[in-house]
Amino acid sequence: MMSGARFPAMIALLVLAFPVSAELDVPYVPTPQVVVDEMLRVARVGPQDFVMDLGSGDGRILIDAARKFGAHGVGVELDDALLAQSIENAQAAGVDDRVQFRKEDLFKADLSPATVITMYLVPRVNERLRPRLLTLKPGTRIVSHDFDLQDWRPDEKHTIRKNVFLWIVPAQVAGRWHARLALPGGALNVDFELKQHFQELDGVARADERIIPLWEMQISGERVRFVMVDGRDREHEASLYFEGRVHGDVMEGEIRRGVGKAETRLPWRAARSPL
Amino acid sequence: MPTRIRRSLRSKPMRWAAIALCAALAAGSGRAPGAELDVPTPYVPSTRLNVDEMLRLAAVGPQDVVYDLGSGDGRVVIAAARDYGARGVGLDIDAALVRESRENARRAGVGDRTEFRQEDLLTANIREASVVTLYLLPTLVRRLQEKLFADLKPGTRIVAHEYGFPDWKPDRKIVISKTFYLYTVPGRVAGSWRLETSAGNRPRAYDIAFGQHYQEIKGAARVTGGILPAFEARLAGEHIAFVLMDEDMTYRYEGRVQGERMDGIVRWGYGPHLNEAAWHATRIGVGAQG
Repeated sequence: MMSGARFPAMIALLVLAFPVSAELDVPYVPTPQVVVDEMLRVARVGPQDFVMDLGSGDGRILIDAARKFGAHGVGVELDDALLAQSIENAQAAGVDDRVQFRKEDLFKADLSPATVITMYLVPRVNERLRPRLLTLKPGTRIVSHDFDLQDWRPDEKHTIRKNVFLWIVPAQVAGRWHARLALPGGALNVDFELKQHFQELDGVARADERIIPLWEMQISGERVRFVMVDGRDREHEASLYFEGRVHGDVMEGEIRRGVGKAETRLPWRAARSPL
Repeated sequence: MPTRIRRSLRSKPMRWAAIALCAALAAGSGRAPGAELDVPTPYVPSTRLNVDEMLRLAAVGPQDVVYDLGSGDGRVVIAAARDYGARGVGLDIDAALVRESRENARRAGVGDRTEFRQEDLLTANIREASVVTLYLLPTLVRRLQEKLFADLKPGTRIVAHEYGFPDWKPDRKIVISKTFYLYTVPGRVAGSWRLETSAGNRPRAYDIAFGQHYQEIKGAARVTGGILPAFEARLAGEHIAFVLMDEDMTYRYEGRVQGERMDGIVRWGYGPHLNEAAWHATRIGVGAQG
């Protein structure tokens, strides 16, 4: 198992050096058992999850997801012999009622039911898949073994003999959002202008002709956080800690203001406005 | 594969030793003739916002003893006592500021929970602190780095405003108008340990060695026929965690370092098949931090 660990990288290099047809893009290299367990642990797979394994091989990831973690799922694979084998393996493991294997091209398969995507592919295929992965439901977890998604930085990276990467699909929040904040010291009308590069956010607020920087911006799935300093007057100067959820064109949640015993919480809501 | 692991493990302590040597040289050169020791630290008060951010980042609570090094007019210590219910001690070299701080604390109604002393930060006794706050110039921050690591209890939080330690990676860095760094004083794990456990339902013993650079640790266990690298090794205060993969099973160790002992729980298996057992380790050799 250990000596096999180096093969995927070598095969990937060969594939990159000699591109062949799309169907044969990904060589079949089974994932070692400890890595399968690690991928499912990192993705926090549980009984409520629907796992889609892209390039499911002999079915081992999904079968483990069902047997050890209680999940349901679908495996997508193009090789007939491997498909037949995965169905047989699922029956032998007693989980054939919870997992399905389909002969499908992973670039065409409908990924929308997935709450978790698992994959052990090659960099070029990851790159082609990336735009589709980004359109999945915010909060969908993606785990990849060995290969990352280039400048879409992983939310987590775990190294136990091999690298396992986790991404959480972020909500799309780029754009202009309007909010009326009922703050101590008077209501404040603000427009948040947000820029997004995968889960990295950057932005400012505009209020009364002033530009207010936004600090420590984070997005994880549909959860967003940032800090804005309300410095309208020295007496009421305070950091506002925004936390909220994004649902389409609405963000809402809570602002924490003040410190220690004097901390207060206020609701906030912002709506996306057309640019 | 085993050859590669062994080689990479060997190279790391050497690189760390080199880093330690450079740090020692740098510290040494700081004491050489030069203006450094004479640069006075100007008194630039933190704004109310900056004070809040520091205390928030350190997660100060009523059980804390907050030491502010270079306490100025006492505002950090007073805020810690007044807003977070902590006890606070402020140290400053300027006698007039120390007197002013006492007066400010009395007026804020926290005279009984705060103390201000005129003292040299580099020689002051700060061992009882559970939180230390700093807003000092880089040269002084650099010279305090070793003292704080040496003097403070594992788990003590240090928040530095604007200038952080040159050679100690922060646990967190946040930017809210200004930059703030959070450090947690790590336990001492450098050296070799004898680890015993019944993980995997049979008695196991390893000699495990750790290299340490503040909270960054690397480790490896010796087993018959080779070495098991300690994967994902982490140290947060006195809490240690690492993963050993033995006979193709992943064992996750978590525990506490207390002086010459570590005690904790090791887990293996997944989902509903998660198992656990106790483990402990005793120190068999002391290593210097790299």
